[in-house]
Amino acid sequence: MSHSAPPRDAFRLDAALDVPSEPRTRAPVPFRRVLIANRGEIAVRIQRTLRQMGIGTVAVFHRVDADAPHVAGADESVELVGDSAVAAHLDGAQIVASAVACGADAIHPGYGFLSENAGFARQVAEAGLTFIGPDADTIALMGDKISARQFAEAHGVPVAPSVMPTGDLDAFAAEAERIGFPLLIKAAAGGGGKGMSIVPDAGALREAARIASSEAQRYFGDGRVYAEVYVERPRHIEVQVLGDGTGGAIHLFERECSVQRRFQKIIEEAPAARLPVALRDEICAAAVRLASAARYKNAGTVEFILGADGRFFFLEMNTRLQVEHPVTEMITGIDLVRAQLEIAAGQGLPAPQQEIVAHGHAVECRICAEAPDRGFLPATGAVRHLGVPQGAAIRFENALRQGQKITADFDPMLAKLVVAGADRGDAIDRTLSALGELAILGVETNVDYLARVLDHPAFRAGDLHTAFVSEHADSLAPRPLDAAARDRALIVAALGQRIFQTLVTDVPEPHASIGAWRN
Amino acid sequence: MTLKLKLEDGVHEVEIVARRPHLTVRIDGRLHTIADLGPAGDGSGAITFDGARLPFERIASTGTTLVRIDGRTVAVDVVDPFDEGAGPGSGRDEILAPMPGAVVHVHKAAGDPVIRGEAVLTIESMKLQTTLVAPRDGELVAVLKGDGDTFEKDEVVARLAPAEGDQ
Repeated sequence: MSHSAPPRDAFRLDAALDVPSEPRTRAPVPFRRVLIANRGEIAVRIQRTLRQMGIGTVAVFHRVDADAPHVAGADESVELVGDSAVAAHLDGAQIVASAVACGADAIHPGYGFLSENAGFARQVAEAGLTFIGPDADTIALMGDKISARQFAEAHGVPVAPSVMPTGDLDAFAAEAERIGFPLLIKAAAGGGGKGMSIVPDAGALREAARIASSEAQRYFGDGRVYAEVYVERPRHIEVQVLGDGTGGAIHLFERECSVQRRFQKIIEEAPAARLPVALRDEICAAAVRLASAARYKNAGTVEFILGADGRFFFLEMNTRLQVEHPVTEMITGIDLVRAQLEIAAGQGLPAPQQEIVAHGHAVECRICAEAPDRGFLPATGAVRHLGVPQGAAIRFENALRQGQKITADFDPMLAKLVVAGADRGDAIDRTLSALGELAILGVETNVDYLARVLDHPAFRAGDLHTAFVSEHADSLAPRPLDAAARDRALIVAALGQRIFQTLVTDVPEPHASIGAWRN
Repeated sequence: MTLKLKLEDGVHEVEIVARRPHLTVRIDGRLHTIADLGPAGDGSGAITFDGARLPFERIASTGTTLVRIDGRTVAVDVVDPFDEGAGPGSGRDEILAPMPGAVVHVHKAAGDPVIRGEAVLTIESMKLQTTLVAPRDGELVAVLKGDGDTFEKDEVVARLAPAEGDQ
């Protein structure tokens, strides 16, 4: 297996297609119709591969999404009812019943919603349908951060020194003192930064544990929290794995997801920046070891934190397709949704490890409806104008259309811009150019902010860690427009005003009177 | 006539100096020529600005025009001549919702004293919780939203008693 970077000329930009084509000849997957239990860009993305494979698609939607692109693009659609759009998408019984009613063979959960819900995976299987993901027991094992940690540790995957919950705050505090500060408190059932806090010293421990526990209870219905050593300037490195369910597992290299705000990723790339080859090999091997030991089936991601000293620790395993999967597709040429369907159909892994090769570099930007310069507050509105960048090796993963209302019902992520290049610098330059072409007007977005991050000297140098956004807050603030740029913006705005247009075309009165004026 | 436009908190003046042979405008004293005015209204297009092609994307509504040029989005507001000089209200007596959403926790009730920065309501929108705090010391006279109540952007969710000296 070779992990070293290929020679620059080995990367062919024209080969990085929108969705990688795979010349392999394999038996057709025996699914006739797949219900996608999701919405938005990921539903559209999954539909694309299903269509290419000749499989029928079923969309689900709540009435707020009745005219959404993922509904328009599906062969069939089923309306879900519920108190809210989110509640409808979380109603597993209703979704399974819909799948059975419309004759679907399988359900693809996408990410979020029910994708990591063991009960849902079980319901799907019990209804005689195929769940496009791991089995329920694996989801349950990895869904509980404490059992996942214990499993990883038992199989030789490094985990950070930690204190497990005991129910006794005194014992918890005493144990925490032993491993030392700073510590990170996390929810056992957590994710997305909920129920998480950094504890600088022993004095702050009890209050932090109490707050984290109540937040965890509110979000996950499970108030258990644990603490682990806080790695200073940590990088978030994750490995894409595929498992066949019998112990066979491969990795598709790593992704770097260090640039985050509110503990949520906004820029991801593959491969990781400046990662020594030996360390990459070690991290990828650890991820494969875990997937293999768990007899993991389908696509999954093993997440690690990497310290400045080169030590890395298991963070969690995501038992689903991830938001950032396209960067891996761009560098490996493997369609992960197709791989998921083939594995679910019992056709095994797409290729042996030695045939998985990474070419070039890919960057993904999460385009969010938010105000980066006002604390990343979510923004709502309507997409009144949409200009999409075009070009080789650019994927604009979205379910947007002009006129679409962006409401507070869902997550603020509107779309993803994924761009590949010959190497990291080239990929950054191409992404910046594509961001410059991307126009979403009518709802405030982070597009300009993302460009400032990508063009930041520390980002270009690959000097990344999870506090990048706060550490560089000052230099990431918008620069005031210079006079020339201001004048250009003002005249374009003025010409858009009817009153100004009238002034431009109107004939001034004295000239009109003498008949000498011609426009 | 001069068109007054607000951009990045500053007011700028755009004035037509000549219409022929090209449109000539004066912006804050600087002269520019526009050879091609581009399409009117919303959408994408290009003008010729001081001899160079300037592609843009633009939409306008209720006094604000959003312009995307040079890879940057800029909001430009038309200054209503009747509003000119009227500064923004103090707003210090009201707590406004910064976005649409729902209340997840009420920290204070009407009649409670608050100090600046103290939590009044925790709200949630797009899965993000934000705590709305008192803008100054004072007494809450109304907390207009309760647990689970929804609201729109800029809706008043709580009110403080007028500060001494305020009218």
